Amino acid sequence: MSRAGGKLLVLALLMLASATLCLFVGPVSDPDWQIITRLRLPRVLLAILVGFGLAGAGAVLQGVLRNPLADPFILGTSSAAAAGVMIASLLGLRHFSALYSMALIFALFSIFLVFRIARTAGKTPVQTLILAGVILSLFFNAVVFVFFSLFFKEEYATLFFLLGTLTQGEPVRIAVSGAIILVGLAVTIALSRELNLLTQGEEAAQHLGLDVETAKKILFAAASAMVAASVAVAGMIGFVGLIVPHMMRMTLGADHRVLIPASALGGAVFLILADALGRSLVPPLEIPVGALTAVLGSPYFIFLLRRRQQAGEF
Amino acid sequence: MLKIENVGFSYPSGFRLEEIDLEVTTGSFLALIGPNGCGKSTLVKLMSRLLPPSTGKVLLEGRELASYSTRELARRMAVIPSENHFEFPFPVSEIVAMGRYPFLGRLERVSTSDKQLVRRALRLTGTEQFAQRPISELSSGERQRVLMARAVAQQPQLLILDEPNAHLDIKHQISIFRLLQKLNQEQGVTIVVVLHDLSMTAAFCQRVAVMAEGRLILEGEPREVITASMIRRVYGAEVAVERTSDGVPLLSYRPDGGS
Repeated sequence: MSRAGGKLLVLALLMLASATLCLFVGPVSDPDWQIITRLRLPRVLLAILVGFGLAGAGAVLQGVLRNPLADPFILGTSSAAAAGVMIASLLGLRHFSALYSMALIFALFSIFLVFRIARTAGKTPVQTLILAGVILSLFFNAVVFVFFSLFFKEEYATLFFLLGTLTQGEPVRIAVSGAIILVGLAVTIALSRELNLLTQGEEAAQHLGLDVETAKKILFAAASAMVAASVAVAGMIGFVGLIVPHMMRMTLGADHRVLIPASALGGAVFLILADALGRSLVPPLEIPVGALTAVLGSPYFIFLLRRRQQAGEF
Repeated sequence: MLKIENVGFSYPSGFRLEEIDLEVTTGSFLALIGPNGCGKSTLVKLMSRLLPPSTGKVLLEGRELASYSTRELARRMAVIPSENHFEFPFPVSEIVAMGRYPFLGRLERVSTSDKQLVRRALRLTGTEQFAQRPISELSSGERQRVLMARAVAQQPQLLILDEPNAHLDIKHQISIFRLLQKLNQEQGVTIVVVLHDLSMTAAFCQRVAVMAEGRLILEGEPREVITASMIRRVYGAEVAVERTSDGVPLLSYRPDGGS
């Protein structure tokens, strides 16, 4: 087996180990079979899938935008997908296909917008990209909160959804989101060589024989679909798509043929552990996993930003 | 090899390229010179299909450039742009191997002969000693050579370079040009290079095309084209042009501005 294959296998085993372990972690210290299979198993499964989706999408966005600070949460993609979900339920579109379609349309729209706003002279500089992302997230968050305060009665569940949680995974939604995320991931893994070319710059990629516009469209669509499917089932869980691909790139290198599967597996491990932490820190209360990842992720983001400034890359 | 017929292009800002006619014959080594903002880089973009001409046409081996697929074009033409940013720590050998991309099928893996071509490209450009290092750690001169290696791995019939000398010291400038000369003479690669250094142009290139204000105004051998009067007229600069013993033009500058 190749070295990269070995490393991915280690990550996969790590994921299985943490998944198994976390089935036995929670406010009930001596859980019976019911708690494990009905409550914790779906959560761990959801953590794996959403971890795949968010970290995989993060790796793709960082590659296409040639920017290691890109993340679905920071770019406003997650907020947009959440706004889509809220608007769908407000319009009475309770069927999950409507909900997912709205999440996807909003996610795609926001990536298109952020790309258009941030792009100057064929490049997407870090500052403008982040600014555009922050402004778009503020906007979509505001949309969500307006609808929330005006129309929603089930405040607690909705609030948890906005903060990001793995507790609301009905089996149908886990299945639908899982299918979308796995297909999205398969597409991006199949295009990882193209993604490698794109990181060399769009013009360079074109000179090397890549149909840049088509590749970008497919990759953006796949990333949006993964984010939308994750948000539709688990709300806005931030920074997974930033921290995990970045750490994987530092340890395993920039080659997307390894980086994307590694980020997916790493994202699963990260979310399983974060969720287990959230439900065992202050039993019997729970901290939503999205609040935890934001508390962990924001300092990490600032650390990355500072390091780039010191390296003179601004 | 490459034929530019009555090509025009206009930017929304109003800058225009007009009535460009130029033939780059197979096996030639052509420099494209001219003052800043004269349209050299735009012409390079038209030659490499990053921009479509608004009038006229560009032909590669008799076929219109627009009729090639991106992949077909990359099998014939390699381009080294003037600006490069390496955001991610790819190992040098991976970057050079990207030169084989246009020859690979979907999901096809890099073959033994591809690997040999990559090794050969590393050797030719003197980049093999840092083949396993991340590109993000290399100096700009080393990066330029890595990009040359990637272009060599692409086995192009035509190689286009936009100011390969920017940010390079004199030693690295010479080594890049020796390599271009070798590719041109030993492998028959046709070369088009945008340059600012007129002495370098005179020393290495067989032909030189001069642009000014969006037009191609002169084309010929360096010893005919590079003269004090051309430089005064095109660049508005006063320099003396001397000749080496074998007649190659050599620029000399006077600090007092006279000549």
